[in-house]
Amino acid sequence: MDTDAPAKAHRARRAGRKAEKRQKNSEDADTKQRNPKAFAIQSTNKLNRAFRRAQDVKARKHHIPVVDRTPQEPPPIVVAIVGPPKVGKTTLLNGILKNYTRQKVSEIKGPVTLVSGKHRRLTLIECNNDMTSMIDIAKVADLILLMIDASFGFEMETFEFLNICQVHGFPKVMGILTHLDSFKQQKTLKKTKKALKHRFWTELYQGAKLFYLSGMVFGEYQRTEVRNLCRFISVMKFRPLTWRSTHSYVFADRMEDITDPETLRVEPTCNRNISIYGYVRGTHLKPSTAVHIPGAGDYRLHNISFLHDPCPLPDRGDKKQRRSLDVHERVMYAPMSGVGGIVYDKDAVYIDVDGSNNTAEQQNVPETILKSSIIDSSKTIDSKMEESKVSLFTGDEPLSTEQAERFPDNDGEGREDSGIDDSDDEDSDEDEDSDEDKVEGSGLNWKIDLREKAAKAFIERQSSSVNLQRLVYGAVQEVEEEESGEEGEEKLRGGLFKVTSNEDETDKKRKRNNRECSRDLSKMIRDWIDDHEARESIADCFVTGNWGEEEDAKTLLDQDDEIYGDFEDLETGDVVKGNDAKTTNQNEDEKEDSKKDRESRMREKRMERKRKLKEAFDRNYDGESTLFDDVKRELNEQARLNREEFENMDDTTRVQYEGFRPGMYVRLELRGIPAEMIQQFDPHYPLIVGGVSSTEENMGFLRTRVKRHRWYKRILKTRDPLIVSIGWRRYQTLPMYYMEDHNLRQRMLKYTPEHMHCWALFYGPITPQGTGFLAVQSISGATPDFRISATGTVLESDCSTQLVKKLKLVGYPYKIYKNTCFIKGMFNSPLEVAKFEGASIRSVSGIRGHVKKAVTNGGKEQGPPGAFRAMFEDKLLMSDVVFCRTWYPVQVPKMYIVVSNLMINKKDSWQAMKTVGQLRFEQNLKVPVNEDSLYKPIVRPEGRQFSSLVIPRALQKELPFKSKPKYLRGKNQTKHDKLMKKAVVREPKDRQIAALMNALRTMDKNKKQTKKLERKKQMAEHKKLLEKQVVKDQWRHKEAKKKIYKALAKSEKKKSKVSEE
Amino acid sequence: LEIAMSVLEYEGSNFLRQRLILSTLSGKPVKIKKIRSSDENPGLHEFEANLLSLLDRLTNGTKIDISVTGTTLLYRPGILIGGTLDHDCNLERSIGYYLEVIICLAPFCKQAVSCTLTGITNDHADPTVDFLKGTNLPLMKLFGVGDDLELKINKRGASPGGGGEIYFHCPRVNKLRTLNFTEPGKVKNIRGVAYATRVSPQMPNRLVTSARGVLNGFIPDIYINTDHLKGAQSGKSPGFGIYLEARSTKDVILSAECNSLPKSENASVDPEELGKRAACALLEEIHSGGCVGSSSQYLAALFMALGEQDVGKVLFGPLTPYTIEFLRHIRDFLQVTFKLEAKTYSGDQMGQNIGSSKVLLTCVGVGFSNMSKTIR
Repeated sequence: MDTDAPAKAHRARRAGRKAEKRQKNSEDADTKQRNPKAFAIQSTNKLNRAFRRAQDVKARKHHIPVVDRTPQEPPPIVVAIVGPPKVGKTTLLNGILKNYTRQKVSEIKGPVTLVSGKHRRLTLIECNNDMTSMIDIAKVADLILLMIDASFGFEMETFEFLNICQVHGFPKVMGILTHLDSFKQQKTLKKTKKALKHRFWTELYQGAKLFYLSGMVFGEYQRTEVRNLCRFISVMKFRPLTWRSTHSYVFADRMEDITDPETLRVEPTCNRNISIYGYVRGTHLKPSTAVHIPGAGDYRLHNISFLHDPCPLPDRGDKKQRRSLDVHERVMYAPMSGVGGIVYDKDAVYIDVDGSNNTAEQQNVPETILKSSIIDSSKTIDSKMEESKVSLFTGDEPLSTEQAERFPDNDGEGREDSGIDDSDDEDSDEDEDSDEDKVEGSGLNWKIDLREKAAKAFIERQSSSVNLQRLVYGAVQEVEEEESGEEGEEKLRGGLFKVTSNEDETDKKRKRNNRECSRDLSKMIRDWIDDHEARESIADCFVTGNWGEEEDAKTLLDQDDEIYGDFEDLETGDVVKGNDAKTTNQNEDEKEDSKKDRESRMREKRMERKRKLKEAFDRNYDGESTLFDDVKRELNEQARLNREEFENMDDTTRVQYEGFRPGMYVRLELRGIPAEMIQQFDPHYPLIVGGVSSTEENMGFLRTRVKRHRWYKRILKTRDPLIVSIGWRRYQTLPMYYMEDHNLRQRMLKYTPEHMHCWALFYGPITPQGTGFLAVQSISGATPDFRISATGTVLESDCSTQLVKKLKLVGYPYKIYKNTCFIKGMFNSPLEVAKFEGASIRSVSGIRGHVKKAVTNGGKEQGPPGAFRAMFEDKLLMSDVVFCRTWYPVQVPKMYIVVSNLMINKKDSWQAMKTVGQLRFEQNLKVPVNEDSLYKPIVRPEGRQFSSLVIPRALQKELPFKSKPKYLRGKNQTKHDKLMKKAVVREPKDRQIAALMNALRTMDKNKKQTKKLERKKQMAEHKKLLEKQVVKDQWRHKEAKKKIYKALAKSEKKKSKVSEE
Repeated sequence: LEIAMSVLEYEGSNFLRQRLILSTLSGKPVKIKKIRSSDENPGLHEFEANLLSLLDRLTNGTKIDISVTGTTLLYRPGILIGGTLDHDCNLERSIGYYLEVIICLAPFCKQAVSCTLTGITNDHADPTVDFLKGTNLPLMKLFGVGDDLELKINKRGASPGGGGEIYFHCPRVNKLRTLNFTEPGKVKNIRGVAYATRVSPQMPNRLVTSARGVLNGFIPDIYINTDHLKGAQSGKSPGFGIYLEARSTKDVILSAECNSLPKSENASVDPEELGKRAACALLEEIHSGGCVGSSSQYLAALFMALGEQDVGKVLFGPLTPYTIEFLRHIRDFLQVTFKLEAKTYSGDQMGQNIGSSKVLLTCVGVGFSNMSKTIR
């Protein structure tokens, strides 16, 4: 069919509904034009605000850009199914497996890896309710399916798990509500769903996804619902988490004991050698790094090799673009549960044959039988022969057959070993060899320009990348090389031949103790003044020399001219033509080139010109790029470089440069693993091999910020053992809590504050700052309470601590001069005093002073050892007490016990070191009490008798009135007493009046007295009456109660009888 | 920890600094045996003991065990703390010997390092402080080591008497930037400094004149400072020298220097001759080329290896023996293997003469982060 033929033009409808619609739309569009005022800017403020808002919204979407380090073929996503018991975890796992692979697995143990789509694989694992498992799973899972029993609601494990996740970097969490069919009424179902959803949201974030599995059909979840769930999983996006993106780890899906059977037979409890298989995750895994296996401890990778991927993504080379996976592409791999059949090892393929594993009870890993590696191989023997390699010497690079055939030819290269110094090698014979063919023609004049030739040879030697690599790193090291390089060199390299490198050895010895200098002093310096050839060789290193075609100013100018050259000066009307530099050349070419060629060339040129113009325009008008854009572009560029640099290399070489990249399926070999770990291996517990950097192997003190968890029921005590989960590790240690004073003094606390952050110091492996951790008191035994006792972050690692506690030294004055005073009892020896010379001290009454000098035997003043002279700002009393406030350094105990729960049979009951409180409780011991620390009633000495102040009369005279002592009436003196002092003689009439008044007063007094007595009597009677009444009331109340309870009891009895029947 | 920390073992006194630097950074203990075991003067020398004491002050928790004979050294590194420190460098080596170590470690300390070092600032063997200031500090800045990086020469002291003093300040960093630096550009100008202590003030001028005489044929933009010191600032011994650096359009700095020999070796050097030699050394350096000078290759390699887990690329000139050994040590300690590619420019590729063939170093960093830094 001719595609170039113009398509028939579209004829729009003129009548009918479509035409009417179009008509109407076009009218609507016109309103803006017809009434432009309505759409004009009404308020600049409003516009301003709208613009700001728009910008805010835009900026809020920005995250700090990070380099995308995900490999081309990422490792499977770890999906963990977590929830309390009896919530439906296994059922869901079965449902998901069935959905993806159309297979049913009878018993699932350990992780299951499967291909979920064209670009995604999943590793599914079910998490049991052990605290340690939850912690480990939270550290490796990318996605967590958190299952919640809707009929019960949230359980403590769920909250604990969410808190664990929060500390370890929060992987994606998706809630799943199950047991929804237990609700009979639609309304309660709706209400429960809503309540649970909102509770879930407060725990995670508003709008967190909560999935509903409405009910079971034949003991399985509904297929459509599981499929929808799987769809959610397959489109889920993940953000890199800090710890995992900086540490490599392997989530083991298979473990084998590779100890020598003979050793095992002799000593069944000997340390084992094991191999662990799994995908590398996180970052590149380097050979011989230290690893931590949570639950087992620290080990060093003895060996690491990559294997054929047992669960590969569908081949991308396939040109057929299919939406779904083929049946044979739906691979599932779960060696721990015996699924997958074929097991690849380093040098063999094992096929699991059903029924042959009679003794599989003892070994948890299914027993496998080596059939043949030929069965699985897709290649012919010939091609295999071609690939197979022969190594002549042990420790040498294996040779392919092809190489072996032309062996005699390349002995020169074979001999070239890791020469250390290049300057000494310059005139070695091999260089002459390489020059020989050139020199041959010119006879014997090879001696001419020897030095120059040597230099050239050196350059040539460096020119080949392989040689350069060998020059520096020696022969290409096998990744699986067992012995270290030095030992290998001294060993016999083959059965027959011994590689003698005496010359090399002596040379090495000479070099070994050379003077170290970063400057290359042996370098020859040419004569740059007269040697024209040399001068010529660097001529273009300077700006004055020739430039490359892309950067040469002249060429660039010419190009610019071609683009911008033609223009018309509008003022003068001159037309300026760009200078056509190549016109002469073109004329010559024209004769040869056909017309068509020229046209195409012209078109190309025009296109180029257009492109450049467009670029220039974009640069000028397309909004300036922000800093964010620049950074992002830079990081994208870096990501591209990361991807492309080693893309075309084969894996063996690539591994040397990068390490084992995430996504590779590897076999790790570890040595010296305790036998218990193998004997007590339980595939239900996750086995993680977490890589740690070399710094993180060293021990130190971690300074952390910590907060008691608000749901934990107690406060935490300093020096009480605590199990800490931090990084890959979980270990028990003794934290010391402290507060920072305003001057950054670290002051020890006995207990954590109730609702505040405090700091904690504990001994453990050095950990990067900012790493989160959580602490639990114990992991064994079940408590209904919340178990996470504290959470925090690491602030700093150090090798020493500055923790202090307050210490008050008390002393008593024994001799007081004016402001000088001698104090005893504070120190025990003059040496101690000498250490505190100049220290500030204080009396109880607040008089400040300094320690001056210790009292010595020869001195004027005598005193007990440790007595000293002190100076105060005022005179002290003998009764004063003197304090010296000091800060005493507190040692943080160096205790570090790895929680090795994988080594025991009952993995959830690892017994940690007990707290003192626990021990006292168990042994029924009382807390020892220091009598001195108890509070006792304060006994004050009898009040002192002070003699009155006497002012001499002469002085009194001098004093102003204000200060003169005044003779006032005494406290006990009454007015009467005062009057009594004076004799009063009355007139007879007055005497009569007085007598009458006296009589009246006496009568009145008597009357009042009697009235008072009567009143008292009445009150007492009334009180009696009231009391009687109260007793009566109480009795009545009691009676009434009795009646009611009797009635209640009767009715209840009736009820119970009915229910019994 | 339960696993025995693998102690790396080496022999001989050579490359002691490399091993100590890498051990301190990686946290791996190192054991060095047979230190001058068959020498007349066996064991560690004074200047090496001095270096160890400097490291001890720069770190916290470092354990240094030296055998009785001094021929075996076991170094267990602690945590880098940095801070303010004064150090008297041994007069057997110049300050450069010690400062090179500090430069490598300083960005990863708990506190910013500000140290005052006293000793020999300029001698004929080790890189002088001028060299470190002019070449290594700009290189560190390329790797993202802060702006307030500073090296101040308070006093100059020539060998053998010393008496010089420098102040070095280096901010701490959390992570190094990945460097992709493969375009050396073209030399646009030449700068430098000629100095003299306790000799005639004419010396620097004579040095400058002779050096210019050689370099003028290549590029006209040359400016060389003269620094003649006297009195308290001039140290204890007479000496003179010249430091030259060639700056390129892409901010590559290649440098060379030449210093007078100490007076005791009674090999009087003509300043004209010295100037010419320095100029020739600079041209040799330009001939080697690359984006990093031959004496700073080790620093670039170290910082590349310590960078983030990205691919970094830097174009070097031909590798020096010191760099080659350093690359091997980097592989031992940090497990980073560099990809070395030779870049040959066969004679006149693209019509250009740009000296010797170059080496393109590519590596994936280990993602080293400053573990001793404190966060609030």
